[in-house]
Amino acid sequence: MSRLLSSLRDGKGFDIVLVAVPLAFLLVFSGLPLIYNVVMSFQAVDMFSLGTFNRPWVGFKNYVDVFSLPATWPIMRNTVIFVVCSIAGQFVIGFALALFFARGFPGSSYIRGLFLASWVMPGLVVGAMWNWILAGDFGVLNYALRSLGIISENIFWASNPAWSLWAVIVANIWLGISFNMILLSVGLAAIPRDLYEAAALDGANGLQKFWTITLPMMRSTIGAVISLGLIFTLQQFDLFASITSGGPANSSNVAQYWAWEMSFRQYDFAKGATISVVMIAVVMIASVIYVRSTRHEVRG
Amino acid sequence: MTAQIELKNVEKYYGAYHALKNIDLSIAKGQFVALVGPSGCGKSTLLRSLAGLETITSGAIHIAGERVNDLPPRKRDVAMVFQSYALYPHMNVMDNLTYSMRLKRKPRAEIEAAAKEVAETIGLSHLLDRFPRELSGGQRQRVAMGRAIIRNPKAFLFDEPLSNLDASLRVHMRKEVRALHNRLGATSVYVTHDQIEAMTMADHVVVMRDGIIEQQGAPLDLYAHPANQFVAGFIGSPAMNFVDARISESGEAARLNLPGEPLIPLNGSYPPGRSVIVGLRPEHLSVVGPDAGLALKVSMVESVGSASYISCSATPELSFVVEGTTRLRSGDSVHLAIDPDHVHVFDAKTRLAIGVVN
Repeated sequence: MSRLLSSLRDGKGFDIVLVAVPLAFLLVFSGLPLIYNVVMSFQAVDMFSLGTFNRPWVGFKNYVDVFSLPATWPIMRNTVIFVVCSIAGQFVIGFALALFFARGFPGSSYIRGLFLASWVMPGLVVGAMWNWILAGDFGVLNYALRSLGIISENIFWASNPAWSLWAVIVANIWLGISFNMILLSVGLAAIPRDLYEAAALDGANGLQKFWTITLPMMRSTIGAVISLGLIFTLQQFDLFASITSGGPANSSNVAQYWAWEMSFRQYDFAKGATISVVMIAVVMIASVIYVRSTRHEVRG
Repeated sequence: MTAQIELKNVEKYYGAYHALKNIDLSIAKGQFVALVGPSGCGKSTLLRSLAGLETITSGAIHIAGERVNDLPPRKRDVAMVFQSYALYPHMNVMDNLTYSMRLKRKPRAEIEAAAKEVAETIGLSHLLDRFPRELSGGQRQRVAMGRAIIRNPKAFLFDEPLSNLDASLRVHMRKEVRALHNRLGATSVYVTHDQIEAMTMADHVVVMRDGIIEQQGAPLDLYAHPANQFVAGFIGSPAMNFVDARISESGEAARLNLPGEPLIPLNGSYPPGRSVIVGLRPEHLSVVGPDAGLALKVSMVESVGSASYISCSATPELSFVVEGTTRLRSGDSVHLAIDPDHVHVFDAKTRLAIGVVN
C-alpha cells in the first residue's frame, strides 16, 4: 500500500495519474458526445425518441437524405467559399502585419499586443459591431464607400443575397487576423537573425530572403496556423448568428450553422448530427494531410 | 602594395555608446589580419561594419578602392564566416554552398562544377546531400567556409569561427584556415578573443580595447615591443607579470616595490626617479642559486609535462615558467634572475611603454 502511495507521489504512478486525468476529461466531455453524435447520424431520431439511446437504426438513410436536399450543395459551396476566403484573408493580412511588426520599430511590440483586442472579443460582440459597420442605411462602410465614390447607392450587406456571405467573411477575417499575426510573429522570431545576415552577404535582396529563408523556415508554423484556421473557421457560429442568421434564403448559410439549425430550429436531430459528422470527416482528412506534410520537418 | 581594405577615421555610436573610436586600418591584398581583444572591445562591430551589417556613424570604408559606406552587404562582395556558422538549416550542403550562385541564376552546369570544386577543397564531397543538422561541428565549420570560398570574394571576414569547436579540432582548423588563405591568395580579416589564434594565424595583429586600436603590427613585434601595458598583458601566454617600481638614481636599474625593495638591472637608461610598472614575461625569468636574484616563495605549481607554470606569493603574484617538470613544491623558496634585455618598462600613469633614454 505504501509502495503504491509512493509510486503515486513520485514515480510511474504519478505519470499515469497526470495522463489519466486529462484523458478522462477528454473522454467524458469530447469522446462520448462525439460517438453519440456519430451513432445518432445512423438512427431515426424524433422529438419522442430523443430521450432514449435505443432508436431505430436506419443505416446511411440520413446521409442520403441530407445530400438529396436542394439546399445542401449551395450550403456546401458557401462553406468552402467561407473557409477558403476567411483563411486566405486572415493569413495574408496576418502575415503581412507579422512581418511589419517584426521590423521592430519603437513601440512595435506594444502595438502588436493591442491587435489582440479583436481576438479576445466574444464573437457575438464582434458580430454586433460589424452589424453596425455593415448596416445598410446608416453603416460606416457604406458611408466610406460612397464618399470615396466607389458605390453610388447604399448596399444592404447583410440582407442582399449577393453580399451576405461576404459580410460574414469580412467580419471573420477581422476576427482572425490577430491570432494569425501572433502565431506567425512567434514563428518569425524563432528564425535566427544570422541566417538573414548570411543571406544578405550571399547577395539576397529582401524578396529573395523572404522566399528562400523566411517561407521555408516558417513551413511548420504556416501549416499549424492554416490548420488551426480551418478548425476555427469551421467552428465559426457567432458571426452567422449575429450578422445574417444564414439568410437571406440560405445565401450565407454554412454547414456548421446549418447543422445547428437542423437540430435546434427544425428539431431534425438526425440530419443535424449527419451534417456535423460530414464536417468531422472533412477536418480529419485535412488534419491527416497537414500531419503528413510536416512529417519531414526540417529543423536546424 | 595597394590596400584591399582601408578604414579611415571610422566612428560608430550605438545611441550614446561609443563603440568604435577613430579607427584607421589598412589591409593589404593577400594579408591575413587578426582583430583581437577582450569581449566588448569593438572587434566584432568593426568586422560587421566591414560586411555592411552595421552602418558606421562617420568615417570611410574602402574595399578594393571602392567606397562602400552606403552599400548594402550584398553589394560589397565580401564573404563572412559566422561564429554560429549560420548555415541554412532547410538546405543540404550542396544548396548551402551554391546559395549565392543560385541567387544570381548562374547556369546549372557552372553551379555544379563550382560546388564540386569547393567541396573537394574543403573535403566534403561525400556529404553534399546531408543537412546541417546531420553534420558535426567541424563539418559545419567547413561548409560555412566553403560557402564563402565559392563566391571568390574581395575579402573573407571571420567572426570567431573556431570558438564553438573543441580544443583539438580548433588547433587543427587553425592550420587549415591559414593554409586555405595561402592557397586562395585571399585577403582575410579574422576576429578572435584568443590571442594565440591571432598570433599563430595572422600576418598582422590588431589589438583593440574599448573601441580603439591599442596597437597593430606583426605578431612577434607585438610580443617583443608592446606599446602599452594592456597589449603587454594581452599578448603572450602565460600573461606578463607587472610589478610597481621606481627607476634608480642612475637610471639604469629599477627598484621593485616588493619586500626588501630588490634592484633589478635595466638594459639602457631611463628617467631617474620615475614611477613605473615593470613587465616581466614568465618565460624570461629563470631560477638561480640562493645568493642572487629575487627571493620568493612558491605558492602553486601547475605542470603540463612539457613545461611547469609556477606562481610565487608576492603582491602582485609573480609567475614563471620552467621547461619540463620541476622539483619545486608549494612553500619552497626560490631565487629568480631577470634578463635585462627582456624587461618592459611602462609609465605608472599613462601605462605607455617608456623608451630607453640614451
